[in-house]
Amino acid sequence: MVGLAAAFGSGAMTNSIAEIEDADCIFVIGSNTTSSHPLVATRIFRAIAKGAKLVVADPRKIQLALKADTHVRHNLGTDVALLNGMMHVILKNNWHDQQFVEERCEGFEEFKQLIDNYPPEKVAEITGVSADDIAKIAEYYAKAEAASIIYCMGITQHTTGVDNVKSLANLAMLTGNMGKESTGVNPLRGQNNVQGACDMGGLPNVYSGYQAVNVIDNQTKFESAWNAKLSDQIGLTIPFMLSGLSEGTLKALYVVGENPMVSDPDIGHVEKAIKNTEFLVVQDIFLTPTAELAHVVLPGTSFAEKDGTFTNTERRVQLLRKAIEPVGESKPDWEIIQEISNRFGYEMNYESAEDIMKEISTLTPSYGGITYERLQGDGLAWPCPDKEHPGTKFLHKDKFARGLGLFHAIDYQPPAEVVDDEYPFWLSTGRVHVHYHTGTMTRVSPTLHAEIPEGKLEMHPEDGERLGVRQGEKVKVASRRGEIIAKVILTDRVDVGVVFMPFHFVETCANVLTNPAHDPIAKIPEFKVCAVKVEKAA
Amino acid sequence: MKEQIQQHVKNLLAEGKIKGFLGLRQQGTDIGPYLFTTADELEDLSLGDRQDPGDSRYPLDKILKRIAHKYPTDTFGVLVRGCDERALRQLFAVSMLHRDRVIPVGFACPSELAEKHQCWKPFPDALVAGEVSPGFAGGEDAVGARLDLLAKLQEWFDTFDTCVKCYGCRNICPVCYCHDCTLEEAALLPTGDIPPANPNFLMTRAMHMVGRSLCVYCGLCEEVCPANIPLKSLYKLVAKVVGQEGTTPEGRAAQQKTSGSGQQAVGSQG
Ligand code: SF4
Ligand code: SF4
Ligand code: SF4
Ligand code: SF4
Repeated sequence: MVGLAAAFGSGAMTNSIAEIEDADCIFVIGSNTTSSHPLVATRIFRAIAKGAKLVVADPRKIQLALKADTHVRHNLGTDVALLNGMMHVILKNNWHDQQFVEERCEGFEEFKQLIDNYPPEKVAEITGVSADDIAKIAEYYAKAEAASIIYCMGITQHTTGVDNVKSLANLAMLTGNMGKESTGVNPLRGQNNVQGACDMGGLPNVYSGYQAVNVIDNQTKFESAWNAKLSDQIGLTIPFMLSGLSEGTLKALYVVGENPMVSDPDIGHVEKAIKNTEFLVVQDIFLTPTAELAHVVLPGTSFAEKDGTFTNTERRVQLLRKAIEPVGESKPDWEIIQEISNRFGYEMNYESAEDIMKEISTLTPSYGGITYERLQGDGLAWPCPDKEHPGTKFLHKDKFARGLGLFHAIDYQPPAEVVDDEYPFWLSTGRVHVHYHTGTMTRVSPTLHAEIPEGKLEMHPEDGERLGVRQGEKVKVASRRGEIIAKVILTDRVDVGVVFMPFHFVETCANVLTNPAHDPIAKIPEFKVCAVKVEKAA
Repeated sequence: MKEQIQQHVKNLLAEGKIKGFLGLRQQGTDIGPYLFTTADELEDLSLGDRQDPGDSRYPLDKILKRIAHKYPTDTFGVLVRGCDERALRQLFAVSMLHRDRVIPVGFACPSELAEKHQCWKPFPDALVAGEVSPGFAGGEDAVGARLDLLAKLQEWFDTFDTCVKCYGCRNICPVCYCHDCTLEEAALLPTGDIPPANPNFLMTRAMHMVGRSLCVYCGLCEEVCPANIPLKSLYKLVAKVVGQEGTTPEGRAAQQKTSGSGQQAVGSQG
């Protein structure tokens, strides 16, 4: 999100999901769309049926690759190089949109100079993708009337995550695939409401609607609305909270709907940090591994037991209606927070979720015109600044949110940890189609559990043969941070020298292995690349 | 049309003939299944036409099966279109629902919907409201002709590669009622991967649908499939290959024509 915000001035999917259907070229990079966002995949399939070209860049042979005109398997963590190589080809052949670049963007010259250093032959060496394939996908993307980029965690969960996103923004601006129907740069957000959580300022540096906490006007606006003194300091990101807990500079942690004991990198370190917490509160709908360590567990409600809104990946705010009364002692999250606040002596008197939306719309320009009444039916996509505004299908139409789109000159940097003699395999982590995140919800469903009951390691058959491991046998996987035992799936879905593991499973917890090294700006850890060794388990 | 249904159901409730009526309710612009138990609630009844006719259909028969299971001695009314009634008869035939404890309340679909669905009988016998239109008189299925099963087998199999194994087709199908579903039998259909083992996965379901003439060609499976696989066309083609052509919309339409009695004869098809 930070990457997009730097380039365009707004960090969200630029276009709407339905528009994908009418793109002429769809470039999917770092998204296992059929597995994680099947209804977005639906739109991709429809586009293919209408004749669109599909380009997939993914180290794994994911399902979507079966339908791709070209699938390239670039080496883990070489996205910037791949994209720079594509842009080199585009510039060289004059396939770029000079007018768009001149009228709507800035920073082009510096960017162009850098791209000079990425001829396809050199890029082929870094990425493992042939120069021909780089030229081909560059041509598909650049020559399409409307080309749309779709990406997900495979782009962001790197130490160069922000660079990766900025490179995608460069590509879209270079070819004028911005601010038009069926184009854009489209990050798919995971949870139904992760966009909404970010919109509401569930980040250390912003209030709702991405209003920075260290801008004095924002601070005074919220101070007068809330009648309270507010900090102008940027808060802590998760990696810093964890190290603060370990070092004892942070004493208490209140976790709402997260499960860091499974979801965060280098679990050994996380566990130490969490156990060092003087006071841990966890608010969740199930007793997660993190909640098991808590001093106090507050039962929240599931989607079916509360009113409210979800803001989905296309910025669409949608109404949620309570179907059943909260089970047991559980309460909607806002009620719990309100009660705690009241006991701390800061009065909150919201009557309902709708009450809170009223406040949101007065304090958040992009939500200014959103009311429960207007949300009936299909909802509204922000920005929706006033009561008459119909919502916004795609962003940056005549001008970017920041004015001019900004090109960034970005050099390729290798991942934080690379393979060596001791740890010769590249490990990537991700999801499987039936499970969601740390499995706290999906693993308790008998049907989903039956489909995939345990986490296994995907490995190329040739590697299996070399290690003397047969299908389904157990291996020990170790990184510099820890080791786990898991069964193998021998499959050519991964390349030789690469292994993959889903991270949903606490028993075979892939995040024992992953590297907490994170992007310097976004602070997102490098879940997608680390080095491991694999041997047959005794 | 809706008023007639509302009045009819109110009477059934008032006379104590049914304990509840399973229909569709509109809230805002959302339409979903609802069990109506009082006359007042019927204000919000919907026939499932949100923007276009029949764009918000649900397998009410299948939902009724669950309700009936919980209240085995009560009688319920249920909103039906032509295809719903056909499905209802399938459920009666295998004792999944009891004929005497279900009162279908039917309405007719407009001819445009019948054309779109290639429906040979777009109205139920238990007709309470709506104008009866003649329905599909036979002809080529555009998708089926384009993707003739045996001639274009590879093309079909390529299409299967988009399946994400969501089970949506089975879950929405009014006649997919088995307690233990073969599609979840790990020994027959390996688990853990998408696309699922194909053609086994999709062809197994296809055989189940046509082999016992279960499919009523309501098209819900095809509408719900996130991979846009033309399932209804597939089932028709499979039916032809295994000698069940008579149960397809084309086959039914042809039978109606030869029996010459048009709308009257259709009551007999179950
Ligand atoms: S299949 Fe026939 S009865 Fe069913 S909705 Fe379509 S037209 Fe109506
Ligand atoms: S058309 Fe599909 S949903 Fe309807 S009965 Fe046939 S298989 Fe089931
Ligand atoms: S797919 Fe076959 S086994 Fe499964 S519910 Fe349908 S008819 Fe029964
Ligand atoms: S609905 Fe479509 S995608 Fe889902 S299981 Fe059925 S065929 Fe596959």
